[in-house]
Amino acid sequence: MPRIPGTGLLSGMRLTLTRFFQPKRTVLYPEVKPDIAPRNRGRLELVTDEHGTLKCETCFQCAQACPIECIDMGGTDTKGRFAVHWGPAEQYAERREESAMRRSGRTVSDAAAATGATINTAKVDEILEAHDYDPHHMLAILEEIQAAYGYLPVDALKRVSRATGAWYAMVYGTATFYKHLAFEPGVTRSIAVCRCANCLVSGAGSVMGTLSYEFGTEFGRAIPWSNLRLESLPSHLPDAPSPLVVIDGEPQRDLSAKNAASWAAALAGRYAA
Amino acid sequence: MKRLNAPKGWSQLLFVAPTEPWAALRAAASAGAAGTTATLIAAGLRGRGGGGFLTGAKWQATAAEPASQYFAVANGYESDPAVFTNRLLMEENPQAIVEGLAIAALTVGAREAFIAVRAEYTEAIKRLEAVIANAEREGILGATLLGTGRELIITVRPLQGSSMIGEETVLMKALAGKRGQPEQTPPYPSEVGYLGKPTAVNNVATLAAVPWILNNGAEAFAQIGDSAQPGTVLVQISGSVANPGVIEVPTGTPLNEIIAAAGGTASGASIKALLAGGPTGGFIPANLFGGTPYSGAGLKGVGAHIGSGALLALDNSVAIPELATMLTRWCADEACGKTIPCRIGTRRLAEIGQRFVDGLAGPADAERLQKLAADVTDSALCAHEALAPSPLLTGVRYFASEFGPAVAASSATPTSGRS
Repeated sequence: MPRIPGTGLLSGMRLTLTRFFQPKRTVLYPEVKPDIAPRNRGRLELVTDEHGTLKCETCFQCAQACPIECIDMGGTDTKGRFAVHWGPAEQYAERREESAMRRSGRTVSDAAAATGATINTAKVDEILEAHDYDPHHMLAILEEIQAAYGYLPVDALKRVSRATGAWYAMVYGTATFYKHLAFEPGVTRSIAVCRCANCLVSGAGSVMGTLSYEFGTEFGRAIPWSNLRLESLPSHLPDAPSPLVVIDGEPQRDLSAKNAASWAAALAGRYAA
Repeated sequence: MKRLNAPKGWSQLLFVAPTEPWAALRAAASAGAAGTTATLIAAGLRGRGGGGFLTGAKWQATAAEPASQYFAVANGYESDPAVFTNRLLMEENPQAIVEGLAIAALTVGAREAFIAVRAEYTEAIKRLEAVIANAEREGILGATLLGTGRELIITVRPLQGSSMIGEETVLMKALAGKRGQPEQTPPYPSEVGYLGKPTAVNNVATLAAVPWILNNGAEAFAQIGDSAQPGTVLVQISGSVANPGVIEVPTGTPLNEIIAAAGGTASGASIKALLAGGPTGGFIPANLFGGTPYSGAGLKGVGAHIGSGALLALDNSVAIPELATMLTRWCADEACGKTIPCRIGTRRLAEIGQRFVDGLAGPADAERLQKLAADVTDSALCAHEALAPSPLLTGVRYFASEFGPAVAASSATPTSGRS
C-alpha cells in the first residue's frame, strides 16, 4: 500500500488531542493524595544490574522490616547447603505462620520435638555430660557429636540446645560457620583443592572452575547424587606439589598448571561413569 | 617448608631456645608486672599479629582493667593458606612460646591461658603439650606457679574450620564455642575478651621474643632492626626463588636482601613482583625491592603488609589481574558475612577483576573498583575486610598495563590514593 504523506502526523496529532481533552493525571502531592488503598506498598520487583545479574543479595532486611510479613524469604546458609530464615532468634528457622502465632501470644509447637527424635541421643547425652553441659565447650561438643554420628543431626543440635541452655540459633550458628562440621549424612569422600597463592599461580583456579562446572555444584557442597563433596583444603601440606588436589586424603601428584583443566575434566568423567 | 640459614649479621632470636629454661619467667616474677611491662616497652616489642601495638602497653592495659578474672591467649592460628611461619616456630621453639605466655599470664594476672593452634598442626600441638606437661611436673606451671601458690593452667586448644579464627576478636569467640564473626574494636580484647573478661592476646611470634628480651635485656633487643619496630620477623619466601623456606629477618631489611638470602631468583626465571602478606597482601613491583624495607610502615607505604609473613616471588609467566582476582575470590569465600560491604563488596570486586581478566571491563570499571575498594576498607570490622582489596588495588597501581587500556589511561594521571 502506497504511503499517503501526512498520515503519521495526523495519527500523532490524534493522540495529542485525545490526551489534551482528558483529565490531567498529575497530582499535586502532598496537597492532593492519590486514591489508593491505605496499606498498599506498591509492587514487589526484583531488579537486575546492567550486566543482567540479580541485584538482590538475600540480605533478609526487607523480610525483617516488612510490617505485615508479606515478604517471606528463604536463602541458603553460609556454606550454601541448608535453607535458612536468617534473622534474630525469633525468626530463625521459623515459618511465617509460626512467627505470627508467637506474636499473637499463642504457643507454637516445635516441629522436630512433635515428630519425636529420629536418632538415638544417648551418645549426645554422654558427650554433654563429659563437658559438664558447658556451652563454652560448644565446638568440642559438636566435633565429638560429628565423630560419633558421622554428621550433625538436627535432633542432636536441639538436644544440645536444650541441655546447655544455649539458644538453638547459637548452636546452629556455630555449627554452620565452621567448615569442618558437616550436616549431610553419608558423605564419605571428598575432592579438596588448595587455594593458597602458590597453588593459584600454578592452576588451582582452573582446576576448581572445571571441577565445579563438570560436577555441577559449588565448592563447599556435597554433590546431590553421590557421597562426594567438593571442598577447599584448609591448609597446604608442606612440600606438596602444586597445584595441590587431595582426593580422599591422597595428594595427587600428576598435575601441572598446563594439564590442570583437562585432568579435572577427566576426573569428573570418571566419577560420573 | 624448611628453615633457611640467615646470612651473617642478621640477628637471630626467635628460634633460639632459652639457655636456661624458665629463667625469664623467674625474672618476670621478681620484677613484678610493672617491671616486666616497663622492660618490654623499653625494648619496643610490638605485636607480630598485624596490629603492631606495643606488647608491654597492651599488657598494662589488660591488667589495669578492673575484673574478677583475666586470661592470656597465644594466637598460633595461621589464617593464610600455606603459610607455615608460626607452625615452624611452635615446632622448633615451643619452650619460648609457653614461657612467653606464662610471663604474659603472670603480668596480667591470668590464672588460665590458652594456646590456639590449627588442628592440622599435630606435631606442634604435641611439642607444646610436652613442654607444658614437663613444667607442670616440675612445679613451674599448674597448681602452683613457681611455687608461689598462684595457679596457672595453660592448655593447647586445637581449632579449625575457618580462616577467620586468626582474627583476635574471632578467636575469642571460637574459644568460647561461638560463631566466628568479628566484633567492633574498641573495646579490644584487653578490655572485653574471652568470656567478656580482659584478655591479653598475642601472636606466638611476639611471645617467643619475650623470654629473649628478659634474658638479654631491653637494649639488646631495641638495637635489632628498624628502630620503630625493633626485633625480627619470620618470613616465608616461596615461588620463583632458588631456595624457598622460612627465614628470620630483622625488621627493616630491604626486600632484595631477603630474596638474596633465599638464594636469589630461581634459575631461568626473573622476578617481576612479590606478593607480600598472603592472599590479602599487595603486589610489589621489582623496581621497589631495593627501596622497600620489610617493616610494618615500609610495606604499608607500598600497599602491602607483613601479615602472616608470606612473600611469594612471581615470575613473568604470572598474569597479575588473574591472580589478584583469584585471591579476591578467596577473600570473598572466606568472609564471615557480618559486614555487608565485605560479604557483597568483595564478591563484586572479584567480578570486576574477572571482567578485567576476560577483557570485558567497561570504561567505568576502573573507577568503580577504586570506589568499591574504598567502601569495603572503610567499613571494615577486621583486617580481613580492610585488606581484601589490596591485591587488586596494588595490581592496578603497579601493573596497570596488564589491566587493559582503560586502567592504563586512568593511571597515567595519578589521583591521590587513600592512606
